[in-house]
Amino acid sequence: MSRDIDRRAFLKAAGGAAAAATLAGCAADPDETGTGTEGSGTTEAGGDGTEATESGTESEGEGSTLTYARGNDSGTLDPQNTTSGEDVKVTNQVYDQLIMFEPGQTTLREGLATEWNLEGTTVTLTLREGVTFHNGDDFTADDFIATFNRFTNPDYEYYPGDSYVSAYGPFTLGNWIDSVSKDGDYSLTIELNQKYAPFLRNLAMFASSVLSQQAIQELGQELAQNPVGTGPFQFENWDTSNQRIRLSANGDYWGEAPQVDEVVFSAVGSNTTRAQTLDSGGADIIDGIGAQASKIVQDSSNAELVQQAGINVGYMAFNMAKVEAFRETKVRQAISHAIDTQALVENIFKGIAEQASQPIPSNVFGFNDDLSPYEQNLERAQTLLDEAGYGDGFSFELATFKNPRTYNPSPLQAAQLVKSNLAEIGIEVSINQQSFNPFLDYTSAGNHDACFLGWMTDNADPDNFFYALLHPQVADGELTEGQDWVSFDAEGFNTLNVAAWANRDYMTLVEEAQTTYDQTVREEKYKQAAKIAHDEAPWVFMDHAKELRGVANRVSGFVLAPISGPFLNLVSLN
Amino acid sequence: MVSKRFVLKRLLLLVPVLFGVATLVFAILHLSPGDPARVIAGQRATDAQVAAVRADLGLDDPLWVQYGRYLVDIVTLNLGESYIIQRGTPILTILRARLPVTLELAIYGQVIGILLGIPFGIISAVKQDTLTDHLTRVGALTGISMPIYWTGPLVILLFAQFLNVLPASNRIASQFDPPVYTGLITVDTFVFGLQSGEFAAFVSAASHMLLPAAVIGVYGMALISRMMRSSMLEVIRQDYMRTARAKGQGAKITVMKHGFQNALIPVITVIGIQFGTLLGGAVLTETVFGIGGIGTMLVQAIEVGDYPVVQGTVLVFAFLFTLVNLGVDLTYSYLDPRIDQ
Repeated sequence: MSRDIDRRAFLKAAGGAAAAATLAGCAADPDETGTGTEGSGTTEAGGDGTEATESGTESEGEGSTLTYARGNDSGTLDPQNTTSGEDVKVTNQVYDQLIMFEPGQTTLREGLATEWNLEGTTVTLTLREGVTFHNGDDFTADDFIATFNRFTNPDYEYYPGDSYVSAYGPFTLGNWIDSVSKDGDYSLTIELNQKYAPFLRNLAMFASSVLSQQAIQELGQELAQNPVGTGPFQFENWDTSNQRIRLSANGDYWGEAPQVDEVVFSAVGSNTTRAQTLDSGGADIIDGIGAQASKIVQDSSNAELVQQAGINVGYMAFNMAKVEAFRETKVRQAISHAIDTQALVENIFKGIAEQASQPIPSNVFGFNDDLSPYEQNLERAQTLLDEAGYGDGFSFELATFKNPRTYNPSPLQAAQLVKSNLAEIGIEVSINQQSFNPFLDYTSAGNHDACFLGWMTDNADPDNFFYALLHPQVADGELTEGQDWVSFDAEGFNTLNVAAWANRDYMTLVEEAQTTYDQTVREEKYKQAAKIAHDEAPWVFMDHAKELRGVANRVSGFVLAPISGPFLNLVSLN
Repeated sequence: MVSKRFVLKRLLLLVPVLFGVATLVFAILHLSPGDPARVIAGQRATDAQVAAVRADLGLDDPLWVQYGRYLVDIVTLNLGESYIIQRGTPILTILRARLPVTLELAIYGQVIGILLGIPFGIISAVKQDTLTDHLTRVGALTGISMPIYWTGPLVILLFAQFLNVLPASNRIASQFDPPVYTGLITVDTFVFGLQSGEFAAFVSAASHMLLPAAVIGVYGMALISRMMRSSMLEVIRQDYMRTARAKGQGAKITVMKHGFQNALIPVITVIGIQFGTLLGGAVLTETVFGIGGIGTMLVQAIEVGDYPVVQGTVLVFAFLFTLVNLGVDLTYSYLDPRIDQ
């Protein structure tokens, strides 16, 4: 008896150790987990069997169900409730915007509005007639007004709360709009608080998805589980125990109607397994493909790898507010010359990214063709350091996130490369790795010496890079004469500008471009701004990652879109 | 026999255990870096917006206030709502959907482990030091030495990609949308099959279950057969076994009638404890096979700082683990009435 107890105690301890080891093993393999920030979830589906019985089992329906597999299940189905790209893939099927992106392009096309005009600070839109929401409600100007109020107005009766609505409310609409009014059911007037060239593109963002006023009033926060839009697919059910969201074709869709009967979004956490699932016929389209998974897709006889340049940027920012050495342009240039970004994209990112030379990639207008990436040149780097008075080197801490992100698929290896490259010119780098969410707090408080970071576009407008990431956005009084950086403590400081860079010429160009409606003039200003950013090097411009999808051979019509999408209404199954 | 008093005492012990677990989880979560408000608000949020979210969730209250509120909530069986993983959904609803997923996987894995492990263990003991014994032992050692994150991809490669006879991931093919009764998908699809006469969904669910359950099962088999063997060897040498044989009883009957039941006690212990571990260890299997049980969910929740999900799931884990152990103790006295509780 006593012997049994001893053994039991021993085994209990052993079991605990084994469990700990399994967890550790899981966490230690970043390549195996999805890159999204949002997790998977659940809803009332678990308890409610009656509704699901209706659709029952479709043994014949094989050809008409399109399966889209990704790394994580959605966290919410409400576009005003999310900042996660994982969630947006689903909401983009259910919801439309007033103005929309051309599939596979960065240009705009008609959405729920058929005509629009931006003049001065006034936007007028003519709305499409005869469109109905999935709940049968007619789409009118009141729906957009309710959508806008719910997202940005805390005094609105149906405002769902500060922790419910996402930061995209002010970021996309609220910060720029003075008022929204209607003239009849199908005409909208939006007054802006300043001239703002990217505004029409903001209306095309997922965050500007148009909700039904009736649904807003009836469902409130339940819209997170039960979306009601005008889009090509309508919501059927969210089977959280199987991490699946089922959508059915909206036969009354005003645009190009879906060619499949239903779409199922499923989640497979491991990149490798997801690729294997595609290869063995368990999925039709997959995303979130790393280097290893892309090889499986390439080798597959049942599927092919589709790729396209993405609209994103990965960089290493110098915190000029904190590190004195980084205030010297020559030091920043020296480091840019010391880091081998070519090896980075080719060997570490395995060719799923290309080298960057400026804040925006070549598929965004305003890209400056005359600029090329800093080439690795250690002699030049050393000379620059000498000239700046740092010839004996110095040391700094590089903060990085641990898990892969689209624009930086191997952050830890990339950090190691930086460390060893800079060691060659006498600069000592210590690496501080963190999970993404404490990391964001760390960098937005300016605690880093230098950090990796990156950006995925919101609206494919250059302003969304130049102004959002490298403009301090403080009042003139906060700037110091003759100093091209600003403190993180400055009133109203844009904490996304993790370099704390405040170059007056650059700022003027970007501000002018933001309020210039003449496209040619605007483009020229961004080209000049790009040149300043390149030369002044507030960042080491690292890479622009490609968008990769695995698509089964039986799928046709799939368009890989650098922004918005996936456009699953264009897809058919053979 | 088991006294009611014993069971009651053990159930009452749950209270301090759960209290301790709750406190520990709360402390670890709130002392580690990371801010769920930042995750919710996202990269584009200003510091003021992050602060507003924090205030809205009550995360800017002093820790002891948050702790007090948390304890009151637990006592009233309110585990809160998810911050991020499944925004706004009550934790109990989430667990009701997710727990059966992990439980089902663990049960099938365990059944495979027991069905293979016990016979292998007995054969190995009876034929001690023969070739059969050596082969079985090497097999068990191999099984226990192969980690799931290696065997998982291996069997997917073989059965899904190369032979293409079994699915690589998920629990059922996309086109099936079976009703939910218990949350155990093989049971639900089977019941649905009985009602409708259409078993395609059941076949799909069962074939999806096979690989992950087998991977868990092989691991369990190894542990169980080793324990069964050594326990059996010990029992075989007991006096009463010699007596039985001296009476002229056949070898098979001696082993099965007198030996097996007595040798089973330590094995039951292993099975019970392993089942608890399986609930946690399913994390890896779930990750590799794209199955969304509470294991994968817990890891994600920890990563993003979804406090209510982590707290609720760990509490339920602790509760289940304690119950399984109680079950194991009760089995002892059933197997050997002399063990008085």
